[in-house]
Amino acid sequence: MPKERPVVSKIINLAIFILLEIASLLMLSNNSQLQKLWFARISHGFMAKTWGTTQAVSNYFSLKKQNDDLALDNERLREIVRGYELAAIKADSSMRPVLGNDGFRYIPATIIKSGTSSQHNYLILDKGSEDGVVENSGIISSKGVIGIVDAVSKHYSYAISFLNKELNISARLDTSGAVGPLAWDGISTNGAVLKEIPLQFKYSPGDTVYTSGYSAIFPPDIPLGIAGEAKVINGATNEISVKLFQDHSALKYVTIIENTRISEIAEIENREKEVKK
Amino acid sequence: MRKTFAFTYILMVIAQMILSNYFHFTPLAMLTILPALVLCIPTKVDTFWAMVIAFATGLAVDLFAEGTLGINALSLVPVAFLRKTLIGTIFGVEPFEQKENLSIKKYGFARMSFAIIIVTALFLAIYILADCAGTRPLWFLGTKLGLSLLVSYFVSIILVNLLSYDDRR
Repeated sequence: MPKERPVVSKIINLAIFILLEIASLLMLSNNSQLQKLWFARISHGFMAKTWGTTQAVSNYFSLKKQNDDLALDNERLREIVRGYELAAIKADSSMRPVLGNDGFRYIPATIIKSGTSSQHNYLILDKGSEDGVVENSGIISSKGVIGIVDAVSKHYSYAISFLNKELNISARLDTSGAVGPLAWDGISTNGAVLKEIPLQFKYSPGDTVYTSGYSAIFPPDIPLGIAGEAKVINGATNEISVKLFQDHSALKYVTIIENTRISEIAEIENREKEVKK
Repeated sequence: MRKTFAFTYILMVIAQMILSNYFHFTPLAMLTILPALVLCIPTKVDTFWAMVIAFATGLAVDLFAEGTLGINALSLVPVAFLRKTLIGTIFGVEPFEQKENLSIKKYGFARMSFAIIIVTALFLAIYILADCAGTRPLWFLGTKLGLSLLVSYFVSIILVNLLSYDDRR
């Protein structure tokens, strides 16, 4: 083995080796296009790998900052959405009541107070007589019936919620067309019972339940829910459980419906009563 | 002895130039004796001068033989750089302590063959990679390395005897 050489000598040898190799490489690349391209390719590949790795490491350590930035972005976007929601509510407030060709007038409203915990729940809406709301108007949402307006002040309406044991709505089974009163089951915020369905009407679970349109408060064919199990009451009628589309525990925006021809209907009914007397 | 070695060395380099110019039987093989020449540089010559000699030798062959300028120098300098480490590993301390040249007679055919194969393989690996410049498939590189190593080894082992002429006398 060679004698122990000082470290300096080894370093000098290594430096000379590198120097000579670099000189050779330079000569090689300057005298041959093929080798020049090869060195360039190797160099670029090495650089790409080095920078790629560096970037990956850098990205890893900047993840926390990126997460914080994303959280800020999310919050900013939520603010924008809230702004749009408020603008939509304001726009709704200024909207004139819409009169449909079916004799019903539609007034958008917002629930400002509601309850679901008792057996006699009620609602307070932000629209009153000044907005054209009258007593006995229906209240619906995009998913079904919500209640009936019971009293009206200048700016607010008091309504009996569908989640009230005293409220019945005339409803119809889709396949058989059988009609009966639909009432809250008193248990859940999306459960109801369709009563007094004659036994002769064929029925199958999964049928859709609609408003019948017989009550003059609600227009016909508003989807209310899906029929479930039935049980025979007193051997004469079926009582069918219904799962409502609308969960009343999550409700904010509703539409008040006024039947503009309700007085005309009432007048005919009164006249008929007088004739019978 | 030094003069004899230097003279033989120069003759061998000229022989390599001639071989490089005329030994073109197949693209799958090349013949080189330069690594064996560098290996046989006297042990008293340190690594620095061995690298300088190797660089000059490589350049001379590049200039006077067919080839790309720098390719022999590029491949031969690493052989000179690792020469002492390799000799120490294969032959032990004896060549350095007694300042002896490497020869088959002193160190045996097997060890000399092994040393020649190692330095020739190192040289050829660098040379072939740089020469093909990524344009050839791996099988081609492997075949060329194997065949060239075989041919170069046989020629080199004969020439090593010529370089250690003085010792034999």
